[in-house]
Amino acid sequence: MIEQYNVYAAKLLPPEELFASGHKACQGCAPALALRYLMKALGPNTIVCNATGCMEIVSSAYPDIAWGVPWIHVAFENAAAVASGVESGIKILQRKGKLAPGRINVVAIGGDGGTFDIGLQALSGMLERGHNAMYLCYDNEAYMNTGIQRSSGTPFGASTTTSPAGKAIPGQKTVKKDLLEIGVAHQIAYAATACTSYPFDFMEKVKKAFSYDGAKLIHILAPCPTGWRTNPGEVIKHGRLAVQTGMFPLYEVDHGRYKMSMDLPFLKPLKMYLSPQGRYRHLSEEQIAIIEANLKARYAKLQALCRITAEV
Amino acid sequence: MPKILMKGAEAIGEAAIRAGCLSYFGYPITPQSEVGEYMSRRLPEVGGVFVQAESEVAASQMIYGASGAGVRVMTTTSSPGFSLMAEAMSYIAASELPAVVVNIVRGGPGLGGILPSQGDYFQAVKGGGHGDYRCLVLAPATVQEFVECVMKAFPLAEKYLNPVLLIGDGMIAQMMEPVDFDAVKTEPQRDVEAWATTGCKDRPRNVVECLWLDPKLCEDFNFELIEKYKKMAAEDCYFEEYELDDQPEMVVVAYGTTSRIVRTAIEELRKDGYKLGMLRPITLFPFPFDRLRALSETAHVKAFSVIEMSQGQMIEDVRWAIRDKFPVGFFCRMGGIVPSPEEVIDFLKQEFVTRGLKGAKS
Repeated sequence: MIEQYNVYAAKLLPPEELFASGHKACQGCAPALALRYLMKALGPNTIVCNATGCMEIVSSAYPDIAWGVPWIHVAFENAAAVASGVESGIKILQRKGKLAPGRINVVAIGGDGGTFDIGLQALSGMLERGHNAMYLCYDNEAYMNTGIQRSSGTPFGASTTTSPAGKAIPGQKTVKKDLLEIGVAHQIAYAATACTSYPFDFMEKVKKAFSYDGAKLIHILAPCPTGWRTNPGEVIKHGRLAVQTGMFPLYEVDHGRYKMSMDLPFLKPLKMYLSPQGRYRHLSEEQIAIIEANLKARYAKLQALCRITAEV
Repeated sequence: MPKILMKGAEAIGEAAIRAGCLSYFGYPITPQSEVGEYMSRRLPEVGGVFVQAESEVAASQMIYGASGAGVRVMTTTSSPGFSLMAEAMSYIAASELPAVVVNIVRGGPGLGGILPSQGDYFQAVKGGGHGDYRCLVLAPATVQEFVECVMKAFPLAEKYLNPVLLIGDGMIAQMMEPVDFDAVKTEPQRDVEAWATTGCKDRPRNVVECLWLDPKLCEDFNFELIEKYKKMAAEDCYFEEYELDDQPEMVVVAYGTTSRIVRTAIEELRKDGYKLGMLRPITLFPFPFDRLRALSETAHVKAFSVIEMSQGQMIEDVRWAIRDKFPVGFFCRMGGIVPSPEEVIDFLKQEFVTRGLKGAKS
């Protein structure tokens, strides 16, 4: 009976931990939460292809492993390519009758460095060929595993070890690459943003993605207290503020139709999000005003895309 | 200038800047990301260019481009990243451009580990990318020597119009040691117009390319490369001899971090009366073949040993150098483990017994 309603309660989630505790992630690591929720949404009938990065390192240092499903570690640039191979292999085995028919969830996982930068070519290949697999980018907005170097997912103004804020440069000099739009440009079945502070939204999106055949992309913002220089106890709050200030809007693109995942009556002041973070501490009022104006314009554009694509 | 205490990775960056390298292209990878971090901070201060590429493939092709434009340029990486740079190394060597590349080798194969290793010896000295080409390979053993080698690497790359590769490991990159930057004088860049694409008004044009569809031309170029590598062997082969001047019975060959352990082991063994010394190659290509062969032909040397942090790669060059005149003893630790002086001492003592040398009795 209850299945007929959209009832969200932690109690109703499957108790199995297919991404188990005991891994080596830092205190307050939100990417680890993303993987835990991902596995709760997908269940055991899943194969994970994991690019090099924080989540691969903390979950798989031999002889320990946190994964309760078939899992393969691949080089930094190749998660989407290996997932393409896994999916093709399953297809052949099923065609030959060597594997029972039915859906096996194939997921490629990479961080922002492994997705926005070095893995973009392989991602484009997987999306373009339309492999029946999902790519999950957990975005903590820098190369945290090697010591907080900037990536093309690092937002403008953020100070990292290779975009150090000082007199010569104001932190990251470029704007954050719009990963989801790159995915959408491949005309894939489903693309969505998510945030670890909204677990039910994320899990619904994962399930929806796998209700479609073909390639799908989920881009989840996952705060990193180590790299963002924030209180590890407040990652959920900071993720919520990223969404509520419009810094990281939650939306989905279902067969080309844009839909906001949350109706925000107004955007909270950006300062609420920036000021608790050490990486933004140096920003001036003018710089914050520029960032805020840009994000508002982008938010308005997204709202317009929702209206336009609803009609077509 | 007095000596300053500096982390290896940062000293590498500073040495490059002092050598007039104001362009750095890199991509983060442990255990050498600090070079890029240092450059991102320092290069804007001195009017240089720091670019963090989107991958090692891109970083290595950026140095190809910058080198063709005629500037001193460097990238640094670690083993898995250097594999991604192999294509560019072949193109840079084939296009005869000077560039400096540092590989801080870590345990492998695959993603391996992040701790010290020498598993990339073959990749460094036998080509690594496709085609017949060689890098001039330097393997310093201390932070100070790394600084000196980086500063020498740029003029060497320009002398031969060839990539110069420096290999070290996490021990040298992550350790702090006293450094004196004034120990080496920087040679300024010369004759850039002879090879770089700087604009050819009033001079013949320079061409940066590596495609020869005519096999005869391609073969001719390969013969030219052979001559270049012979010249390197004749003029720029460097090594250090340690305790080899009092008629040792055994010659130990080791480079980089391993040579530091071997030095300690030899010091201890000599106290007990063992007669042995070390030949430490500083250039791995060109390799000190002639010196090793000369040592094997002396009356007193009766055994060779090689200590590596790899399965036995350099030993092939040592065996070739001495034409297998003696069996070559071999000891290694791998995967990120640095051999301890104790285990090296035990191994060498056993070698003295196995080879029937006088050892402590002498």
